[in-house]
Amino acid sequence: MFKLHYRLERRAIGMTLAIICAASVGGFVEIAPLFTIDQTVEAAPDMRVYTPLELAGRNIYMREGCYACHSQMIRTLRDEVERYGHYSLAVESKYDHPMLWGSKRTGPDIAPLGGKYSDEWHVRHLLNPREVVRVSIMPSYAWLMDNDLRIDDLSGQLAAQHAVGVPYTPDMIRHAADDAYGQANPDSNRVAGVRARYDDNTNIRAFDGIADRLTEMDALVAYLQILGRLTDASNLDPVGKDLE
Amino acid sequence: MALEERDPVTGRLTTGHQWNGIKELNTPVPRVVYVFLILTITFGLVYALCMPAIPLGRTYTKGILGYDERTAVQRDLEGAAAAKAPWHDALDRLDYRELAADPVVMQEIRETGRFLFGQNCAACHGINASGNRGFPNLAGGALNWGDTPEAIEQTIRVGVNSSHPESRIAQMPAFGQDGILQRPEVDAVVAYVHDLSREGIDASRQRHPAGQEIFKAQCAACHGAEARGNSDLGAPNLTDRTWLYGGDIQTILDTVWQGRQGQMPSWESRLGARNIKLLSAYVSSLRKE
Amino acid sequence: MITNLTASERRGALLILVVMAIVGLFFAAAGRGDPIALHGALIMVVALAFAFPVMGHLYDPEPSADRLDTYYDDPSKVGMILTFAWAAFAMFVGDWLAWMMVEPTWTTGSAWSSFGRLRPVHTTGVIFGFGGNGLIATSFYVMQRTCRVRLPDQLSPWFVLLGFNLFCLLAVTGYMLGITQSKEYAEPEWYADLWLVIVWIVYFVLYLRTLARREEPHIYVANWYYMAFILVVAMLHIVNNLAVPVSFLSAKSHSLFSGVQDALTEWWYGHNAVAFFLTAGFLGMMYYYLPIRAGRPIFSYRMSIISFWGITFMYMWVGSHHLHHTALPQWVQTLGMSFSLVLLVPSWASAANALLTLNGAWHRVRDDATLRFMMIAAVFYGLTTFEGSFMAIRSVNALSHYTDWTVGHVHAGALGWVAMITFGALYASIPWLWKKERMYSSFLVELHFWLALSGTVIYVFALWNAGIIQGLMWRTYTENGNLAYTFLDSVVAMTPYYIARAIGGLLFLTGALAGCLNLYLTIRFAAPATEALSLMPLRDPVSDAVIQAAE
Ligand code: HEC
Ligand code: HEC
Ligand code: HEC
Ligand code: HEM
Ligand code: HEM
Ligand SMILES: [Ca+2]
Ligand SMILES: [Ca+2]
Ligand SMILES: [Cu+2]
Repeated sequence: MFKLHYRLERRAIGMTLAIICAASVGGFVEIAPLFTIDQTVEAAPDMRVYTPLELAGRNIYMREGCYACHSQMIRTLRDEVERYGHYSLAVESKYDHPMLWGSKRTGPDIAPLGGKYSDEWHVRHLLNPREVVRVSIMPSYAWLMDNDLRIDDLSGQLAAQHAVGVPYTPDMIRHAADDAYGQANPDSNRVAGVRARYDDNTNIRAFDGIADRLTEMDALVAYLQILGRLTDASNLDPVGKDLE
Repeated sequence: MALEERDPVTGRLTTGHQWNGIKELNTPVPRVVYVFLILTITFGLVYALCMPAIPLGRTYTKGILGYDERTAVQRDLEGAAAAKAPWHDALDRLDYRELAADPVVMQEIRETGRFLFGQNCAACHGINASGNRGFPNLAGGALNWGDTPEAIEQTIRVGVNSSHPESRIAQMPAFGQDGILQRPEVDAVVAYVHDLSREGIDASRQRHPAGQEIFKAQCAACHGAEARGNSDLGAPNLTDRTWLYGGDIQTILDTVWQGRQGQMPSWESRLGARNIKLLSAYVSSLRKE
Repeated sequence: MITNLTASERRGALLILVVMAIVGLFFAAAGRGDPIALHGALIMVVALAFAFPVMGHLYDPEPSADRLDTYYDDPSKVGMILTFAWAAFAMFVGDWLAWMMVEPTWTTGSAWSSFGRLRPVHTTGVIFGFGGNGLIATSFYVMQRTCRVRLPDQLSPWFVLLGFNLFCLLAVTGYMLGITQSKEYAEPEWYADLWLVIVWIVYFVLYLRTLARREEPHIYVANWYYMAFILVVAMLHIVNNLAVPVSFLSAKSHSLFSGVQDALTEWWYGHNAVAFFLTAGFLGMMYYYLPIRAGRPIFSYRMSIISFWGITFMYMWVGSHHLHHTALPQWVQTLGMSFSLVLLVPSWASAANALLTLNGAWHRVRDDATLRFMMIAAVFYGLTTFEGSFMAIRSVNALSHYTDWTVGHVHAGALGWVAMITFGALYASIPWLWKKERMYSSFLVELHFWLALSGTVIYVFALWNAGIIQGLMWRTYTENGNLAYTFLDSVVAMTPYYIARAIGGLLFLTGALAGCLNLYLTIRFAAPATEALSLMPLRDPVSDAVIQAAE
């Protein structure tokens, strides 16, 4: 073996090819089957897509680096299930390009956050976490309320999501900006369109408390309020319910 | 072959090459390296045989132990539930008075309650349940929806202004914003309400007769003629020192001008009936202390 | 430095810079309304800033031919200065973040400086800015000396070095502006990713061309590692960054994979960013500088072979240890854990090979802080890989994952191994490169060493404590079988450890700043070398004789 290597190490191309071969095996054996083994992602017929407003909120969540402190992945451990709720299923992040499972919990897991708190609480918490949670070490995000949400590129955002496999219809893509506006303004005439194109249970509210202004706060809170609610897959399965 | 050389310190042969003066000894690989390689590889193989491990196109090997993390956590949870069955049973069976009378059960309730409250409710009501602006103090003072454990349970289960179909509805109208009252009228009633808790109802009546008139016409329907509130509507008592939003002139003015629709989420689907009962008993126990 | 380029290289450089400026201008103008315009403008400004001086020297005479008899070290010199600059910047940001975790209001209040935006500035700044520049600068240095040839041309090393720094600049300014893919360690957006692919191809071709011209029959171990670093990082980078941009005038893209497939791809990348950026590359560095500085032969050529191929093959399997107990199917976790355990053997073999090389040179370790940096690095390398394999065990990971223990492990590796070996290598090369007798102040080197060591130890111990306490608090049950602590309890419990970590970080940062000062003093004021220390000329009669006898 060492003799063989003694010859190999004299050839740059030989070393190059050998390195490529040795380094390719692991990734190939592990990643490729995730696309072919059916059990990898559970079936969830009720799975719905993010609305344009929620998708915009998700982009803000990434932009602000919330994932650096918050995980969205409850592990299959008794204490996690008892603390946060049912362990996360693969299907729940099926439309997450990229996934936001996170790797550090400076703050708590927020996989099942949707509906846990009120919009108003979220707004106050994001403006100044210490106003509602005295000992919090989370940063404040005051600018979210000042910034108008950018909606001119929302159709493009949905189209790109469509290109990577999220089932947005041409109708959804075309009306993305309107739908974002309508979802955050329950008094507007665009609400009907949101209802028609998306799930009946879509949250349609003035998330930031101001109906006629569409801010980044609207989008982020809309996203936070949908976390864990894209599918009921984990609720159908009784693990963790009433077991605490 | 290369020109071999012997290292004077170790007495070993070099490989005979040098790069910018760096040489390499041709020391054989120490046996421990092989030993550990074999040990770790053997462990890896055995472990992979026991556990789900090898992908096979459309499925994967399940391992001879038949272990699966999801079944395992399910089992853990069921085991934990079984261990708690007696006290869960007590929780289900006993009513609130009986619970409060049983020190052993109460001990459990305090322990679990603190955790559940801290994990779910403290964000709004604070870790000691002492409240925050807009979020009621649960540990002391009067509760808007009633002080009985049953009333508390109902609030936790369905929430206030929540998306639950049976949600309690708390609607303090926006008298100023919606043009129901003019600014001077609002000011008058605000002054009246402000002095209610400070000076007592009679003193305030005397001082702000106009305010009192408006109150009778507009507010008494919910807050009652004596302004002592109505727990069916969640309308707070305005004569005590407990304030949800605040008792200074400016805050009262804001309240009356823009209205209030405080939101308390419904916990029915998130926590389940037993945990809600537990929390109601826990909150009630905080109030007694 | 520009006049050292040949006339045709100068024309080539100008052409590249003009093309870049035009592309930048295009994005700046056409992408208005999107953050990409800012980056277009940045690219244009940078390209023009280099284009003008090049233009000024366009018609200068050709450089003298005797340059070909020496190594081409200008890019290494600039690379080392950049390494120190990135160290100071990114470690400053790191310590700022550390204090923010103690007192979240210690920030400017503007979006750019919020924790979530600065954190990737820190990680990219240290890994790519500091680590990457260190690797590029030393790889140029090492490959020439171990191949006994000059770099094949003078333009492509500059392209690699400066192009890479442009990538880092786009990355960190992007995060502060809110441009990010949010994939850990791969946060830069699609256009920066594409740019890095180009830079990286040029880097690899440069490496191959140098190796092809080498005068030594065998490729030295250090170069195996540098090659693995370049090749595998290219593979990882391309696959993990596959994405569809919203439009060619938008900074935003949506990654190709989603959910569980994306998670494994991300950590296949993420772990191997550790393996091939933070490990393989730096092992290459160690294999050159440690024996040179110690004046000792490598302990065992055969062990180098075992470690190299063990690391190259096995590291690629273990990414799933970042996803234990998650929605990733358990079979992948099993593979990740098994390979992580086997991986310990080649890892420790490398560490042992380094430490045993020091046999016969321990007196030098005692006297020479530069060598001591390298020795401590090897120790921390062994420690971190042991810890890593331990944390890869599913039941251990159940405790450590998501906690500060991971961050402690990261910095045992990052401060103890990556940064220490880099500082050692820099202190070893700088006098040689600038033709000085030695570093200006050996006191400052010594001071830096002790600050770095104490900072690392404080940092790592604080976070071991923090992480284990955090992990235990999350899973502590009362006697009655109820969870004992709320999440907030664990947040509060972290404060003393976060303070200790921030202090440890401050020590480490101070050390790095002492290094910057020493670099400056050395370049400006140190006494020139009287004899050509290790400035081995290309045609070295001694080694030529050895080679001839050998063939
Ligand atoms: C420095 C770390 C940090 C960052 C960055 C951060 N958070 Fe937090 N977050 C925390 C901590 C610590 C808590 C727990 C204390 C509290 O509730 O404020 C928390 C709590 C929360 C909660 C309440 C969760 C619950 O179930 O009680 C939400 C929601 C939240 N954060 C959202 C966000 C969003 C959205 C962002 C980004 C815009 C963000 N966080 C960024 C640290 C952080
Ligand atoms: C999003 C914030 C929020 C959270 C979380 C929350 N509450 Fe509330 N809660 C409120 C608000 C706001 C009110 C006042 C509603 C109103 O206007 O009457 C309230 C009211 C109550 C009341 C009635 C008080 C009264 O005056 O009658 C009880 C009891 C209560 N909460 C218990 C809980 C418990 C137990 C939990 C946790 C399981 C919880 N709350 C979680 C916001 C919250
Ligand atoms: C339709 C019923 C209704 C009417 C009419 C009404 N209120 Fe209220 N009021 C409420 C409810 C319900 C709340 C509690 C709101 C909440 O929980 O968010 C409230 C809250 C308040 C508060 C805040 C108390 C605190 O603790 O901060 C004040 C002050 C108040 N009302 C004054 C008035 C005055 C003055 C009027 C008449 C001008 C009036 N209300 C008319 C239902 C009513
Ligand atoms: C002055 C020295 C340093 C300080 C004070 C420091 C501080 C920090 C802080 C506060 C974090 C965030 C941790 C968290 O979110 O909980 C962090 C993360 C990180 N740092 Fe450093 N750091 C330093 C040096 C370095 C160096 C030299 C490297 C690499 C070569 C490095 C690599 C990383 C990495 C990879 C992470 C991300 C860890 C993870 O996601 O788990 N750091 N650092
Ligand atoms: C045998 C070698 C190693 C193994 C098996 C290993 C294993 C691990 C494990 C199990 C984790 C925790 C994953 C999690 O729970 O989230 C981790 C995290 C990490 N390790 Fe190592 N490690 C090794 C060596 C190193 C070295 C030498 C470094 C150098 C700096 C390093 C840097 C990191 C980083 C940066 C992370 C954080 C990743 C994140 O952002 O979450 N590791 N490693
Ligand atoms: Ca991480
Ligand atoms: Ca990227
Ligand atoms: Cu890893």
